[in-house]
Amino acid sequence: MRHERNFAEGREENGLPAERERPVPVLEVRNLKVSYSASGPQILKGIDFAVDGDDFCAVIGPSGAGKSTLIRCVNRLVEASDGDIILFGQDVRKLNGGELRRMRRRIGMIFQEFNLVNRMSVMDNVLSGRLGYTGAFRSLFKVFPREDIERALELLERVGLQDHVDKRADELSGGQRQRVGIARALMQKPEILLLDEPTSALDPKISRDVMRLIKELAREFRVPVLCNIHDVQLALETCNRIIGLQDGYKKFDGPAEGMRKQDLDEIYAMEVL
Amino acid sequence: MVAAVGLQGAPYLSYVERKRRRRVNNWVIAACIAVVLGWCIWDTVMVDTDWARMGGALGIIGTLERFFWIDWGLVPSLIVPALETMMMATLGTLLGCVFSLPVAWFGAYNVTPNRYIFYPLGRFLMVLSRSIHEIIWALLFVGAVGLGALPGILAVAMRSVGFISKITAEAIENIDPKPVEAIRAVGGNQFQVMYYGILPQILPVVIGTIIFEWDINIRRSAIMGLVGAGGLGLVFFRQMAMFNYGGVTLVVLAVLVLIAIGEVISHYARKAVI
Amino acid sequence: MTAISADGHMPAPVRRWSRYKHPRSTIRFAVLIAVLAFLSWSIAFLNIDLYRIIGAFPRLWEILATRYFPPDIDYVLDDSFLHSVLRTIEMSLLGGFFGVVLAIPLAWMAARNITISRRIAYPLGRFAIMGSRSIHETIWTILFVTVLGFGMLAGTLALTVFCVGFAGKLFADELEAIDMGPVEALRSVGASNLQVFQYAVLPQIRVAFTGIAIYTWDVAFRAATVVGFFGGGGMGWYLKRTTQQLENTRVAAILLTIIVLVLLAELASGWLRHRIAKMR
Repeated sequence: MRHERNFAEGREENGLPAERERPVPVLEVRNLKVSYSASGPQILKGIDFAVDGDDFCAVIGPSGAGKSTLIRCVNRLVEASDGDIILFGQDVRKLNGGELRRMRRRIGMIFQEFNLVNRMSVMDNVLSGRLGYTGAFRSLFKVFPREDIERALELLERVGLQDHVDKRADELSGGQRQRVGIARALMQKPEILLLDEPTSALDPKISRDVMRLIKELAREFRVPVLCNIHDVQLALETCNRIIGLQDGYKKFDGPAEGMRKQDLDEIYAMEVL
Repeated sequence: MVAAVGLQGAPYLSYVERKRRRRVNNWVIAACIAVVLGWCIWDTVMVDTDWARMGGALGIIGTLERFFWIDWGLVPSLIVPALETMMMATLGTLLGCVFSLPVAWFGAYNVTPNRYIFYPLGRFLMVLSRSIHEIIWALLFVGAVGLGALPGILAVAMRSVGFISKITAEAIENIDPKPVEAIRAVGGNQFQVMYYGILPQILPVVIGTIIFEWDINIRRSAIMGLVGAGGLGLVFFRQMAMFNYGGVTLVVLAVLVLIAIGEVISHYARKAVI
Repeated sequence: MTAISADGHMPAPVRRWSRYKHPRSTIRFAVLIAVLAFLSWSIAFLNIDLYRIIGAFPRLWEILATRYFPPDIDYVLDDSFLHSVLRTIEMSLLGGFFGVVLAIPLAWMAARNITISRRIAYPLGRFAIMGSRSIHETIWTILFVTVLGFGMLAGTLALTVFCVGFAGKLFADELEAIDMGPVEALRSVGASNLQVFQYAVLPQIRVAFTGIAIYTWDVAFRAATVVGFFGGGGMGWYLKRTTQQLENTRVAAILLTIIVLVLLAELASGWLRHRIAKMR
């Protein structure tokens, strides 16, 4: 399995002793701090957590708690100011340009606003998930390898968009666009999926369908998921692990079943006030 | 009752007062404009014009009349120059687009390679290109590369750079950053980010601008012959030198026909793109 | 429906997809090939040496550096030249003013949504604006010089016609984009065409029109610097004389003056337009 191979590589690089009994987490975050400017307020004030190979982990919390920042730090769309982010055994913060690109292509990301290129076709949007593996010549003329095209068609069928392959992305409805986003992320054959509020631009019914689809696919491809979600009910339904953030601090970390009313009250204390 | 009138009265008066002031203001502005214009007319038209040589109304009508005897016999010899003009406009626009690429890249604040050196340079090139009239560009290039169509093409290209690159740079500055973020997140390199994230977003605007500029460039290349760069302008110049005013009118009509053709083509091209 | 197995291996049925979609892509390719053919035919027909394009800029630089340098600044500080600069500005003001004044009724006729009559006024207004736009300002200058003789009258009239075309197009576009609600409201209370224009249209476009008028002056000034080249008066005439007598350092000085003045005009008009846009 891919993950285990990667952990093994990571272990060798870090010179860690091989532990057989406890699996090394896919992602480990230690003492993460983020502030957007040197003098500005800290968004994250020292977060520690780990994501294991079979986790579907939700980050919940009131708006402004730093959920989105946390997710974006993992693939460095936002630069952290302090702490370690160990992904597949490598410290993401220490990667240079090329290494970061190679790391990013192993990370699938699904966005709140879908982030599709509206004027491109659905097919091209899905294929753009392979750009990290595509050379300059192929990407200039948009000639993707046959396997990529076949995989894109498979995935589009899997998310139920087989009839919209050649439509332009802006002709689709919100739910359909997010399915294109899912297909694009899975095109990368990701080893971890980051979801940044994947449902908050969708209505409740479609949100549930989309989350169910993501969960199904994540289980099928055995991809761990780190997800940030506004809707607590939806998080408890879909995820097996919950991390609660409040004002830059971690307030809760544990299995979804273990979450009690008072934990929620504590996380959302700011909003109650 | 009295109180009510008082309450309504104060704002009413101030409204009248404001209106009066605005009216006075407008009159002052109008008077200034009138004085300036009057002086301009006196200084330029009255003093400078050689009224005696114009020869009165009859003389003017006499000259105008000669323009109306259109020299239709000239039509066959206009076809090649018209084609040349069209080609000059097209090649000039194409070359202008090529030159615009780096200028737009430098002059767009969010993608410029360096905000302190390249950004001002790009902006400066845009202004420079637009502020020099195409006749002057043509004069400079005739000096540099000699007579022929090439200086005309270069002049048209240089004049187009400013507008194309300005609109392109503005389009780049106004793109939606979210798809760009997505391409970066899948591990795309700088080129892929530009090609897949930025280009599709700005393409309709850029192509619309290029078509618009091509349309303008047809009328620009129609005069390039006046300073030695071939095309319809050269025929115009020759007919003028021979005092064959009927031929001059025909050349003007030919320019109108070319513009009309260009208008039709650009209408369809625009529809195909957007 | 077949699922992709976890290790990424793709099972049997091969799905077909091609970027090439028959009618659309074929037409697109045909058009592309036609355009490329026209371009290469143009290059061959006009006998253009591609190396000379690349060589043109070093050559231009060399000529500027050797023959045109140093610019004869004293020449442009001469009284008669400065007077010609003043007259160029006057010409652009006159041309811009009369052009804009004439352009407003023409644009009113040529705006499809509020034109007086679609049968007669609309094509007439369109034709007048298109006609004055299509002919380059230098051709107008030459025509007016032929009829009226050398001097600023011809230059001013040429600039006026140019501004009618330039401002008329922009005005008409602006008019076609107005909110038709007030127009319909006024028409429904029985207002005349002129009243509709004054009370429903004018308030919507006043600021935009002022901005366009200033921009028109800016462009007219740019054109005014060269109408003299063809006998229309102003500083262009000095440019013509020095070019013909090959007084290159003087040409350089005049060109520099033109560039500086045009930049100043652009700055001034940009500043004014900015202020007016804020008044909206």
